[in-house]
Amino acid sequence: MPSSNNPGQSRLEPQPGETIDRAAPVEFRFDGRPVRAFRGDTVASALYAGGTRVFSRSFKYHRPRGLLCCAGNCPNCLVTVDGEPNVRACVRPVEPGLRVRSQNAWPSLRLDLLSLLDRLHWLMPVGFYYKALHRPKALWLLARRLIRRVGGLGSIDINAAHHTEFSSRSLHADVAVVGGGPAGMAAALAAAETGAAVTLIDDQPSLGGHLRYTRLQAVNPRQAGNPKDELAAAVANAPNIHALNDATAFGLYQDNLLAVHTPGGLVRVRAKQVVLATGVQETPLLFDNNDLPGIMLTSAARRLASLYGIRPGREAVLAISGNPAATAEAYQTALELLDAGIRITAIVDASDGASGEAAQALRDRGVTILTGHRIARAVGRGRLKAAVAAPVGSTGYADGRRIRCDLLCMSGPLYPMDALLQQMGVSQPGVTLAGCATGVSGATGLDEATRQGRDAGLRAANPAPNPAPLPEPLPAPPAPMPAGKGGRAYVCFCEDVSAHDIAQAIDEGFADVQTLKRYTTVTMGPCQGKMCGRALSAICAARRPLSSAEWETKDRPEVSGGGDLFTTSRPPWRPVPLAVLAGRERMPLKRTPMDRIHRQLGATMVESGPWLRPHNYGSPADECAAVRQRVGIIDVGTLGKLEALGIGAPQLLDRIYTHRFSDLPAGRIRYGLMTSDNGVILDDGTVTRLAADRYFITTTSGNADVIEEWFNQWNAGGDNCAHIVNVTAAYGAVNVAGPKARETLAKLTAIDLSPDKFRYMRSARGEVAGVPSLLLRIGFVGETGWELHFPAEYGEYMWNAIMEAGREFGISPFGLEAQRILRLEKGHVIVGQDTDAVSTPLDVGSEWAVRFDKADFIGRGGLSIAAARPAQQRLVGFIMPPSTAGSRIVPEDGTPVVSGGRPIGRVTSARISPTLGRGFGLAWVPPHLAEEGASIQVLIDHRPVSATVTLQPVYDPQGLRLRS
Amino acid sequence: MFQLFRKNRMWRARPLKSRYRVVIIGGGVHGLSTAYYLTKLGVKDIAVFDKGYLGGGASARTTAIIRSNYLTPEGIPFFDQSVKLYEGLAKELNFNLLFNQMGRLDLGHTDAAVYALRMRTEFNRILGVDSRMIGPAEIKRLVPSMTLREGLPYPIIGALYHPPCGVIRHDAVVWGFGRGADRGGAELHPFTAVTAIDRANGRVTGVETGRGRVEAEIVLNATAGWSSDVARLAGVDLPLTTHPLQAMVTEPLKPFLDKTISSANLHAYVYQTDRGEVVIGGGVDPYPSYSMRSALLPMEQLAGHTLEMFPCLSNVKVLRQWAGLCDMTPDYAPIMGAVDGLDGFILSCGWGSWGFKAAPAAGRNIAALIATGNTPDIIKPFALSRFHQGRLVNERAAAPAAAIH
Repeated sequence: MPSSNNPGQSRLEPQPGETIDRAAPVEFRFDGRPVRAFRGDTVASALYAGGTRVFSRSFKYHRPRGLLCCAGNCPNCLVTVDGEPNVRACVRPVEPGLRVRSQNAWPSLRLDLLSLLDRLHWLMPVGFYYKALHRPKALWLLARRLIRRVGGLGSIDINAAHHTEFSSRSLHADVAVVGGGPAGMAAALAAAETGAAVTLIDDQPSLGGHLRYTRLQAVNPRQAGNPKDELAAAVANAPNIHALNDATAFGLYQDNLLAVHTPGGLVRVRAKQVVLATGVQETPLLFDNNDLPGIMLTSAARRLASLYGIRPGREAVLAISGNPAATAEAYQTALELLDAGIRITAIVDASDGASGEAAQALRDRGVTILTGHRIARAVGRGRLKAAVAAPVGSTGYADGRRIRCDLLCMSGPLYPMDALLQQMGVSQPGVTLAGCATGVSGATGLDEATRQGRDAGLRAANPAPNPAPLPEPLPAPPAPMPAGKGGRAYVCFCEDVSAHDIAQAIDEGFADVQTLKRYTTVTMGPCQGKMCGRALSAICAARRPLSSAEWETKDRPEVSGGGDLFTTSRPPWRPVPLAVLAGRERMPLKRTPMDRIHRQLGATMVESGPWLRPHNYGSPADECAAVRQRVGIIDVGTLGKLEALGIGAPQLLDRIYTHRFSDLPAGRIRYGLMTSDNGVILDDGTVTRLAADRYFITTTSGNADVIEEWFNQWNAGGDNCAHIVNVTAAYGAVNVAGPKARETLAKLTAIDLSPDKFRYMRSARGEVAGVPSLLLRIGFVGETGWELHFPAEYGEYMWNAIMEAGREFGISPFGLEAQRILRLEKGHVIVGQDTDAVSTPLDVGSEWAVRFDKADFIGRGGLSIAAARPAQQRLVGFIMPPSTAGSRIVPEDGTPVVSGGRPIGRVTSARISPTLGRGFGLAWVPPHLAEEGASIQVLIDHRPVSATVTLQPVYDPQGLRLRS
Repeated sequence: MFQLFRKNRMWRARPLKSRYRVVIIGGGVHGLSTAYYLTKLGVKDIAVFDKGYLGGGASARTTAIIRSNYLTPEGIPFFDQSVKLYEGLAKELNFNLLFNQMGRLDLGHTDAAVYALRMRTEFNRILGVDSRMIGPAEIKRLVPSMTLREGLPYPIIGALYHPPCGVIRHDAVVWGFGRGADRGGAELHPFTAVTAIDRANGRVTGVETGRGRVEAEIVLNATAGWSSDVARLAGVDLPLTTHPLQAMVTEPLKPFLDKTISSANLHAYVYQTDRGEVVIGGGVDPYPSYSMRSALLPMEQLAGHTLEMFPCLSNVKVLRQWAGLCDMTPDYAPIMGAVDGLDGFILSCGWGSWGFKAAPAAGRNIAALIATGNTPDIIKPFALSRFHQGRLVNERAAAPAAAIH
């Protein structure tokens, strides 16, 4: 195999439309050796020019594979580029210094020892792994380990970092046109002429479609200039056409949402109308060894010659076995290759007579045209040496004719590239097809394509109220089954599945295309059916009627068929990197406005949802004592904060919460619980009425976004005048609590905080330390206290001011852990910790927060049912026996409550109570144990220990301190 | 080995008879599993109907994770029985199901998540299921390709390690059960939709199909996605909402990950197949829908969350995304058993995102119910009547992270 470093070795004379800059050499490395290329080359074209013919090893048998499509569709040129696995070398532009490595070969691409598997392919018929290796089980364990070693294609560096250079954006268009070929450009121009805002999406570096690599302008005498350049110039000059180059529309989603992969990242294009001018695609022919390097699609040879000035081969055979349009394309290709100086040894045409100008011109130039023949097999080891042509209809190779060649161009059937349309189903409103994608041939119908494109563009710009339905997808043409058994005639290049394999699978009973796909894995590889999907359908359709006659039993099925014509088309149409889909990092770390102070105080920080919060400042026990005996301050800026505004706000809140808020007087606070429609607790918090049309709402930490969505979902679409604004980040918040909280805050504010003037569950607005604040008198920890909300930018200042004011009273900051202990002593529930997916307000003893005497609310139905039947479980308090010397008797959160060794409930929160000096907590227990003084068993170190149920808070059960 | 070269039919197409003892609606893994176990119990007069191809509904869309690290005393033994049946299933069906018991980590990123995982671990242990809590060092040792997110939001601070968890070739399970049922005498009728369920005097009498009416003593609803519609054909209301669940798969990579990784906080789970593809799934979409079309936003979110755990996958390309339908019950547990007030009508529904892993146990126990008329104890807690009696089975914490329902 020649491996010259000379980039010009296989180059032709400069070609009119070539994209390479012969004056700009570029060097990169392939498997360690230097490769010289020109700017404008792809990795594959540069390698091909340098003599490389084997680009990869196949997935299953490690067969050598060469260039097949040169269009980024097939799996044959997958390489690793700078650590990026599975790059299609034929569409990756060269850059200086690229490090390109071959994949799935050991020790090297040329000498791959795993190609032994190819010799053993007879041991691995279709689905072999389902039929073998599972008995005995030890054999399977061994085999699985081996399979796991050889599976996969490219490899990744597990230490690589996340690329965040991609960002996603959204565009809107009146008309989005996918495909920058003649039909697409014509459609965009026509729509733009009517004033529509047009987005033109094309996956090539420049507009032109197939005109970039074909010479149709020479065929059509009425076109004076170059139609590609004229159309492209018109597009560039149209102010209302936004053209995206190198942009692959990989998905068409609900309501005309196109997902586009661009070099900068994901672009979502929402369009009123979509025109798909995505062209056609060639597929391989079926004959034995149709995967030998040197065998490629005619369009691939054309691309190599026209775009990169490369001689695709020295002696070429063209195999033609398609629809008339494909045949015309093929003869045109033969002429172009001949013009470029490539010898055409023979054209093998399955049709009976080759007519047309191109065929005549070829005959005139001495090219042999074998009509009524097709390729029976290809010959060569690792590289094409010859093709054997046999008359159509012969079943073997005996009467075949051997033709020497190093290039075999396959002109199989052309299929519309309508995958985007298929993703949505064919009846998608607002989507039309144009150009070759409708089945029009490019070679014969440039005028027709542009005319159709214009029509489609005009229709899209002025859509009819009741557009005609799109045509059904073209049925698969008759199956081009190979001569002989076809054991080496590959339908699926990704997974090494032959025509013979498919036939056998059908005979085994996998007779519909979806089951057939799953059993043979055809269409499941990297090409996702681009090369193989239609052939699979064709073989399936052709074999199915036969197979019913082959049933083993004598029963004759009345119905054996059914099912889809094609496998399902799914996004992405072309593979898209995860980093492009992900866009920028979505999870910024949230810090409260007092974060720096917590760190200066030496707090141990803990993650709480997206937030970092102080867990403790050294000793949770001391912090608890400070709150109970003096005064404490905790940063509660992580609470979700929403404002509900508008004259409809009271109705909205009454609908979302189980409690009633429309009758809440301004300045008052009420505890709010919200449930899902089956009555399960979603979230809780406080609701403060600031004014008739304004409420201030808190949610549990980290839940603000979800609850905001929940409000908006229920508020959307109605005529209720209410708005929800998420102000979580706008406000900092602290809770100041303890017997000295009043005296501490009184030093900072003129608001009268005395017990009879500022009562429990009341609010006030005013200045604290000169900062406009909202004061809420509530008490999660069970002491006299105020929750202060103030503009976030005053966070550090406010914290310092309160700490300074409280210094004389012995103020102490307290963290999450102390707060959890203190609230647990009060029996206050934390949603998500103490409640679960079936907990209703009734189960946790919050019946008082559910108002059945108001209009409908979310959860009413579920709660009405729950209220009418006995509870399954109750949440109760429990107290552990006193600690013994050296052992702390307190269960861990989540410990099962057991009875006779069986779990009957569970502990949700447990700590040592500073008040009691022993373990205590909350637990779910069966109703019969939810009684004061009942005995339950909890597991500690997997041994049951008795605990006593209590229905009272262990601290200040009457709430006297809270209200004082 | 010799069977490698034999061309054996998987199942036969047969004419439709006018009556069967048992009609199973739904030719997915649950319907076929039940048919298979019924034939083993000697009940052979069975027809399985599916409106599409065999295993074409939820069975075709599952990400095929088999595990038993559930939460409740009802759910754990049931799913444990299923895992154990799966372990012997390839041998029993003489069909290699490519079962790979790679083990699974459920990640905890917050104290609250670790608490929920610890709870599951404790309940698993007490009921004999192999689950344990492990810390960051052990996590890193088991999954070196994953970042622990130190110093970032949602660091990985603990995990529930469940070694028996495995991934199976889901189609093979369907085909294996289908072949077993066919050989045992059951008839498989794909592309045959059931359009009505006939009833008289408080019991089912038969079904109407696209190919004609058949009589039946027993009708099993083993459908997914539309199981509430099918139940309604018999006048039975099911408390289900149907939500799509999005999943996707990347191009094949050389092996780098041999554990199933799931994060409730990040709403994503990830594993690598034996073929090298990375399978990525998420929680169910927040809104009910019967659409199995894919959606863009969930794919973007899934991609982001995957990279939050595996930044090394940045350059790895997504090959395909798809969506399946999950019938969500209010308590995230299935509905199995007879229906009060309609004799002969049996349910195996409400399989949400936990159906595939339950198929052998569900099939075996439902088969026992049909064959004997007695509901096995292990599935008694899952009867439809629990919703009327307020005896819910709370499995939500063990289901993939779900948004508000």
